[in-house]
Amino acid sequence: MAGGQERILRQRIKSVNATRKITKAMELIAASQIARSQARITANRPYREGMQRIIREAASADPAAARKMLATPEHVDTAIVLVIVGDRGLSGAYNSSVLRAAERLVHMLQHQGTTVRLFAVGKKAPAYFRFRGFDLEQSFVGFADRPSFADARLVASRVAAPFVAGEAQQVLLVSTRFYSAGSQSVESQQLLPLSMPSDLEVAPSTGLKGYTEFEPEVERLLSELAPKALESEVFSALLEGAASFHTSQQRAMAAATDNADELGQTLTRIMNRARQDSITTEIMEIVSGAEALRSGK
Amino acid sequence: MATLLVEIVTPETALWTGEAGALMARSSEGQFTILPEHTALVGDLVPGVVRVTTTTGELSFVVHGGFFQVGPGDEGVTRATVLAGVAERLEEIDVARAQAAKEAAELTLTSLSDEAEVARAEAVAALGRAETRLRARTSAASK
Repeated sequence: MAGGQERILRQRIKSVNATRKITKAMELIAASQIARSQARITANRPYREGMQRIIREAASADPAAARKMLATPEHVDTAIVLVIVGDRGLSGAYNSSVLRAAERLVHMLQHQGTTVRLFAVGKKAPAYFRFRGFDLEQSFVGFADRPSFADARLVASRVAAPFVAGEAQQVLLVSTRFYSAGSQSVESQQLLPLSMPSDLEVAPSTGLKGYTEFEPEVERLLSELAPKALESEVFSALLEGAASFHTSQQRAMAAATDNADELGQTLTRIMNRARQDSITTEIMEIVSGAEALRSGK
Repeated sequence: MATLLVEIVTPETALWTGEAGALMARSSEGQFTILPEHTALVGDLVPGVVRVTTTTGELSFVVHGGFFQVGPGDEGVTRATVLAGVAERLEEIDVARAQAAKEAAELTLTSLSDEAEVARAEAVAALGRAETRLRARTSAASK
């Protein structure tokens, strides 16, 4: 009888509503994390900009030394690629778009004859790369949601080690940059050698050029600055990755909640229709039964 | 009046910002003092104490290495920015914790083989931080 269908529908509605509750909760959690991770980006800005200002100051005082330290290498035998993704899924295209961009970059480098050594932050990277037969040298998990500076320092020291030892000539980063709550994009940038911070949105120092004193002299200062600047860049990439992850998750979960709402409504309508049908059938049966009895008299 | 605007900044937060009479710290070339109207200067900081004199007294910060920049800001203000990966207020240092961290790092160093270069470097860095904290506290206490 039609009552069976009604029961099945009722069960489906219940499960859709349960899912909706979960996605709604995840949406709200992600929303609160967005605010927090954005605040951390803001708190990091003075340090990052200060760092870039000092490098620029030092680089403009001794361009020859700067070129030696900061130039793009002419020939790259081995490149290190650092990929930053999330530890968790359910965040729309956040992980997969970074991973796909990284895969493209690796293919491109290999095509040029460069050996690639892969490093990754986030639990989603090992699964992806292992499945595709890439050799992931090292992965860091457990802090993609809330990176601390100590985490950044660890990642920076690990990716810099082969570069410092001369085993690699370039360190590249693929991650999501967070511009605003409405705008994030997957980008790749060169971490080492440090790129000249010329195109960055740092206000130039108001000091008179050539009148800045250095302690110690520029070349040594730059060599001390390089590892610290790397830490700073990795940290800001981690922070922006985390903020992008939460934004992406919030958006994905909001969409899932909307879908659940819609599905629940559709199912409710079908269920009401089925119930109405079964009532109509029952009435018909009763009426026709009574009719038959009366006419039989 | 010439003023000195001091900012002590770490990657996680701006630790302290305010007007000051003087800033004292130590670079790889030695102890130095920054007063208002100081000439533009960029340099490094060795692990140790950064002292800031304000109208309400002296503040001490422990930095675990870093950099600083001194330059003219707006209208007669001299800006001194201290950038440190890790920095903290001297009085917030937990001596017992630093002592424990020091012992843990020393233990790690003795147990590590020579091949574990990266782990060794991390332990050395941790040991350095613990020792800086302890030294800063001991010298502050003896004064």
